[in-house]
Amino acid sequence: MEVKLKVFRYNPEDDEGKHFDTFTLEAEPTDRVLDLLEQVKNYVDGTLTFRRSCAHGVCGSDAIRINGVNRLACKVLVQDLKSKTVKIEPILGLEVEKDLVVDMEPFFRHYKSVLPYFVNDDPPPMKERLQSPEERSRFDDTTKCILCASCTTSCPSFWINEEYVGPSAIVNAHRFIYDSRDQAAAERLEILNDQFGVYRCHTIFNCTDACPREIEVTKAVGEVKKAIATGRLE
Amino acid sequence: MQSRKVPQPGWNLEYTMWMFTRLSGLALPVLGLIGITAALVMGARTQMDLGTLMRWTFFPNVSHVTSSNIPDYVPWGGAFWQIMQIMIAFFGFTHGFNGLRVVAEDYTNPGFWQVFWRGIIFLVWLFSLLAVIFVIINS
Ligand code: FES
Repeated sequence: MEVKLKVFRYNPEDDEGKHFDTFTLEAEPTDRVLDLLEQVKNYVDGTLTFRRSCAHGVCGSDAIRINGVNRLACKVLVQDLKSKTVKIEPILGLEVEKDLVVDMEPFFRHYKSVLPYFVNDDPPPMKERLQSPEERSRFDDTTKCILCASCTTSCPSFWINEEYVGPSAIVNAHRFIYDSRDQAAAERLEILNDQFGVYRCHTIFNCTDACPREIEVTKAVGEVKKAIATGRLE
Repeated sequence: MQSRKVPQPGWNLEYTMWMFTRLSGLALPVLGLIGITAALVMGARTQMDLGTLMRWTFFPNVSHVTSSNIPDYVPWGGAFWQIMQIMIAFFGFTHGFNGLRVVAEDYTNPGFWQVFWRGIIFLVWLFSLLAVIFVIINS
């Protein structure tokens, strides 16, 4: 089948500015959007720039806007798209460096700010820090995050203000706040109890729609708000 | 699974107003229901056009009541209804103006413009509240 790929282009080193290039390609219905981009890069225009690594929805490097919504290029099949014209743009809210590549620095800065690692100062036991299956399942959903930035860059609060810590950072804080073995929940809640912490979330749900891992992002943000308000981790 | 306790972060403006928005959101319909129930009990059953209904629900003020020809309007001038009106005005205005503050802060970074908008919104909130309290007490 024939597919028209309309791709956002920007090269800071030429004077063409921001514009779209359209490529007409032959594709199988089971091709992924990433395959289309590869086809352009390998056979039509080698200067097309985008991030990808695993090509299987694990590394989180190819989040882009496909027909206006944030998706991983490697997880969307051509047959699942509503039209045969596919509009490809970089994710919003982060500065475009070239074509589909954006500057991820603000995103990772916010991620680092919420202590996204295990904290426990007790001496490690001989074997392991035991946790029941129920305790483990409490934060199972938020362990699935692959840091693709789809959620944060789908959030209008983040588009407006880059200082907002963003849903992804809150999800990663949630993963450790609700871990029964971790001891830094209070510090994380303190960090998120801020003008640019959870209070910039207005429960818009774009993040939940955008997550390629189907994490219930808005719910996780709500649970962190509740923990701040009640002082209980339920 | 047992719930665990975690030390709560300290109070700050964001947290206080976040909590206030939720609580005032609950308080407003409750206060409104009290107003309208009392109006019905005190003889408003025959005159329920929309405007009157709204006034009794959200602003049970004695001058509103007299203009609606209620048989006995004296009870509406008492301290209880004045306090009710002040509470409704306080919760309503603070809820609404805080919403404006949140919108303003969505679009500004800490710095001059944020302080500017916070200041303007605070002053308009204060003025509106004082004006409404003045009207209630003097009517
Ligand atoms: S390329 Fe790794 S998630 Fe798509």
